[in-house]
Amino acid sequence: MTALITGGSGCGKSTYAEKLVTRLPQEKRVYIATMRVYDEESVRRVARHRAQRADKGFVTLECPMDLSSTQIEPGSTVLLEDIPNLLANEMFDGGSPERILPAICDLTKKCAHLIIVTNDVFCDGVIYPESTQTYIEKLAELNRRIAGLADYAAEVVYSIPVTLKGNAPCE
Amino acid sequence: MKLYIGGAYQGQDELAARENPGAEIIQNFHEKVRTAILKGEDPKEFARGICLEKPDAVIVANEVGAGIVPMEASERAFREAVGRALCVIAQASDAVVRVVCGIGARIK
Repeated sequence: MTALITGGSGCGKSTYAEKLVTRLPQEKRVYIATMRVYDEESVRRVARHRAQRADKGFVTLECPMDLSSTQIEPGSTVLLEDIPNLLANEMFDGGSPERILPAICDLTKKCAHLIIVTNDVFCDGVIYPESTQTYIEKLAELNRRIAGLADYAAEVVYSIPVTLKGNAPCE
Repeated sequence: MKLYIGGAYQGQDELAARENPGAEIIQNFHEKVRTAILKGEDPKEFARGICLEKPDAVIVANEVGAGIVPMEASERAFREAVGRALCVIAQASDAVVRVVCGIGARIK
């Protein structure tokens, strides 16, 4: 099962994604962390997410770019968080954004369950400089492609999951 | 408790008033969160306080979290604080209505 979870800032996406994972069988839970830790704000964010996951039996893999390099045991339940960070690192840190989607396709085949967290950044109506506009466009395309291959997609609206596609697993 | 949310000027304020005659309606809740965090309050605690003090209130807010993460740290903190506070309100609410173009969709 592949699931895509989207939503705005601070809306409870991570909490909901973790809840989905905890409803699945408790074996080989892997958390793929994509955020680069570079300032106090990101340190706090990582600490909060780690505390949230603490008792849920995850092995954490750091993967700021090149998702295909992660060593995932077949049959694992993987929580990938998140696409916006992964894309930003690939685009602005000397990587290759084109390798994200193939790596995700490989993960869908390898994992028993793959839960992917992304973000809705598309609704502020601001025209940004070109590189940011390109980023927004690429993120939107990734979201569409991943939703296309997902069994379940939902937008989390202030803690409430609103189904976009399929049925929530284990409800 | 009930929660009405939507993008800017989507008519959540009017719909909340129309559907809840006589109820206490707290408009522009997102701006109240801004005021609270400027005073150094924790947004979730602020929201829990409202839930305790006004359990029958109708809360109306703008959704503010669905854009590019702002460069300005205070703007990032504001968006995230509104999200955290509204998660608390949504959990405490019997009904959550999301309003687009004046039309409400009940999501809880």
